[in-house]
Amino acid sequence: MTTMLVSALNETLFMVFFSTLFSAAGGFGLAVLLILTGPHGLRPKSRVYAALDLAVNLLRSFPFMILMIALIPFTRLVAGVAYGSAAAIVPLTVAAIPFMARLVEGSLLEVDQGVVEAARSFGASDSQIIFRVMVMEALPAIILNVAVLAITLLGYSAMAGAIGGGGLGALAYNEGYIRFRADIMFCAVAVLIVVVQCIQSGGNHLYKKLR
Amino acid sequence: MREMDLHLSLSARGYSDIVQPMITVRNLEKHYGGKSVLRDLSFSVQEGEIFGIVGRSGAGKSTLLRCFNGLTTYDGGSVQVRGREVGALSDAGLRELRRDMGMVFQDFSLMSRKNVFENVAFPLRIWDAGQSRGTIEARVMELLEIVDLADKRLERVQNLSGGQKQRIGIARALALNPKILLCDEATSALDPDTTLNILELLQDVNVRFKLTLIVVTHQREVVKRLCHRMLLLDKGAGLCLGRTEDLFLDPPEDLRRFADTEYTFIPGGLNIRVMFPRAISRQAVITDMARSLDLSFSIVGGKLERYRDHVLGFLIINVACEHVERVCSYMTDKNLPWEVLADDHDACQRPE
Ligand SMILES: Nc1ncnc2c1ncn2[C@@H]1O[C@H](COP(=O)(O)OP(=O)(O)OP(=O)(O)O)[C@@H](O)[C@H]1O
Ligand SMILES: [Mg+2]
Repeated sequence: MTTMLVSALNETLFMVFFSTLFSAAGGFGLAVLLILTGPHGLRPKSRVYAALDLAVNLLRSFPFMILMIALIPFTRLVAGVAYGSAAAIVPLTVAAIPFMARLVEGSLLEVDQGVVEAARSFGASDSQIIFRVMVMEALPAIILNVAVLAITLLGYSAMAGAIGGGGLGALAYNEGYIRFRADIMFCAVAVLIVVVQCIQSGGNHLYKKLR
Repeated sequence: MREMDLHLSLSARGYSDIVQPMITVRNLEKHYGGKSVLRDLSFSVQEGEIFGIVGRSGAGKSTLLRCFNGLTTYDGGSVQVRGREVGALSDAGLRELRRDMGMVFQDFSLMSRKNVFENVAFPLRIWDAGQSRGTIEARVMELLEIVDLADKRLERVQNLSGGQKQRIGIARALALNPKILLCDEATSALDPDTTLNILELLQDVNVRFKLTLIVVTHQREVVKRLCHRMLLLDKGAGLCLGRTEDLFLDPPEDLRRFADTEYTFIPGGLNIRVMFPRAISRQAVITDMARSLDLSFSIVGGKLERYRDHVLGFLIINVACEHVERVCSYMTDKNLPWEVLADDHDACQRPE
């Protein structure tokens, strides 16, 4: 049982780590675009913003299971295979990018507009304002966003069992629930709880340190 | 709009008679949606001058100030800063312009995660053209000396008082050696003592660096203490413009309304402001008036006011309606400037 748990934990961490990494990067980029083109942004472009906004909302309204299955051709294109832990990273990332974009957009909008105006008043360029003022001011909040993202992806990754992604969720379901192995189910859930706790307290710790 | 003789006023203060305007505003118009926020404003600000823009909340002061450095666009007329039309500048041109114009904010607008040093250094880093670290450090320390906060350089800005934060705001605004300093309600969030402190600092940098200051405020003490000239705005229109001292000593109707709101109205009489020019001792005048008219009146308020470099006094007395005529003719006889407070005109039949 221990070996099963360990390999499931490995699969879970693998999926969560890489999908968090990619979707944090993608979501951050998308958030910057939303902030830049938004109604009170530095370069308001209402058409571009409306299009991005709609795309984000559409992607976010898909249930993950459906999205994962709909994405199978795309997954095969990107990952070469459609099944397995590595393949699961593709739909996880696609689903999490718009989620992360909204979180980071919210954090960036929280930045004091006065500080932004002050930076403009001494001649900072748009990119300096975004990266050296807004992102720097919002950094602690963005760190917390990443923690929330990783925990959400941990939950999604359980469903990745459906395309052979493996991991703790799949173990709990296949071994524990279907085969009535209550002990396995219990242990898998316990490990998941520990992982969630670790991610959250790691995020909180960094938040306090950076603030 | 009232324009006092500009050259006269400046030469009286020791500036050269021919000065190139730093900022020239002509027929400036701005609206938000259908609402007109700035209407047909025309004036100019001279080099080295401290120019006040005053008015009630919503008058358009901040909007006007932001037209100068292009933080806001305008819809008509012209704003020229040192000969360059602000509205016609490219992005790069605007950034260059802003480099020459520092700005100070009511709520300080400092970066909360950076310490004092880094906040002041930030404009230098933004414009960093391969300066060595030592140059930036030397400049920041020089600025912190000017605002007297060198010992706090490693402190986080959250841990500082309002006055200290504003000093950092001023140091940051001065970092790039601007020609013009724009202050938007720089003292409105501060207590009276700290306000005086900041005003002294602003006066000091005006003289030391020959900096042109444009000061937006709704505090009349600030205008009086600081500004050579002032513009009164109301609903986006310029009501009067001139030397601060002239305007406050002989206020046009509009300014009176702005200036007098702080005195409470006492029912059953008329509030009269009696002004005391330098030569007259106020104690003697009041007792003398009470004695020779054989009546009593209450003193509602009074103040020794400082008009930049000299002090003048006034008292506000409340006179029962039936005595108003005698009191007024007494004051006129004695050559005392007096006026009925603006809000009180209906309290009694006003004597002509
Ligand atoms: N971005 C905006 N959109 C729409 N209306 C605006 C905007 N900014 C300012 N206004 C309006 O323009 C008018 C002038 O505003 P402004 O901030 O310049 O006034 P102010 O004199 O600085 O007031 P305060 O003393 O309260 O700071 C106000 O009526 C305000 O509601
Ligand atoms: Mg304002």
